[in-house]
Amino acid sequence: MKKMVAATCVGLLLAGCAVQPPPNTFALTPELLQQRQLETRRYDDIKEVDLLSASSNVLQDLGYNLENSETKLGVLTASKQRDATSAGEVTAALVLALLGSRRPMAMSKDQTIRVALVVRPVNDSNGKASESSHLVRVTFQRVVRRTDNSTYAETLKDEELYRDFYERLSKSVFLEGHKL
Amino acid sequence: MRLIFISCIMATAILAGCASTNQRVLDADTGTQLQKRSYQSRVFETSDKEKVLRATISTLQDLGFVVDRADLTLGAVSATKVGVHRITMTVTVRPQGSDRMLVRANAQFNITPIEDPKQYQDFFSSLEKSLFLAAHTEG
Repeated sequence: MKKMVAATCVGLLLAGCAVQPPPNTFALTPELLQQRQLETRRYDDIKEVDLLSASSNVLQDLGYNLENSETKLGVLTASKQRDATSAGEVTAALVLALLGSRRPMAMSKDQTIRVALVVRPVNDSNGKASESSHLVRVTFQRVVRRTDNSTYAETLKDEELYRDFYERLSKSVFLEGHKL
Repeated sequence: MRLIFISCIMATAILAGCASTNQRVLDADTGTQLQKRSYQSRVFETSDKEKVLRATISTLQDLGFVVDRADLTLGAVSATKVGVHRITMTVTVRPQGSDRMLVRANAQFNITPIEDPKQYQDFFSSLEKSLFLAAHTEG
């Protein structure tokens, strides 16, 4: 008993109030660079400002509201709130209830989806920024609220999502190029 | 009696680990201003503020952050990374003289400031790779 109290005491002393981030939080790992490939596309023969305009148009197509922008740095951020109910979770909750579980299972209720889209010029071999070739990189994250009001957050890494997004952006870039 | 004594020591230990509201507001319990500035800053030999900022944004994205806001005039970028933990980071780029840029970063992990110089060193070495420039400590 005494030993346990002492151990708890030492544990608390060591932990204090602070928790520190895991090592390599700020180091570039091969997985991160692979993620970069997935999230980036190159667009040629279009000026940065036109590419940004085409991008903001796509974000509107997808129902996002613009949050912030700094066109001088090629940055757009946008967000939207959406329903987060999932059929799988509802089924699981139903099965649990049928099995006689007293406590209702917390299910995803709604979510805030955030997106940051960054355009940057491709650098040539001398490190000079190109006027007409740019890289677009888009990143999505979402915060989901459950029925018990708890939340969880995640960065979206689904390959399909990015492929679909860039298909839409390519269409928009085409339309922008032809001023349709 | 002994149990009460141990409980008292334990309570003191818990309280000692934490800080008052004022200390929290000013983060006053975490080393001097100068120390913080020193491990949170690096100097790059370039006069191109925009290039450094764009490279910073690109590095943050590489590290899995989603940009919250950016401002060229102020030279600031804020970004958040979510997942198991939540990390929020602000990076500023300020001209130092006519041919150098001072990059300064501060970050928090969930609800705690990141104070391990090694974490900042890792960040700046990632930024170096994106900038193709070497980072120097101040002075």
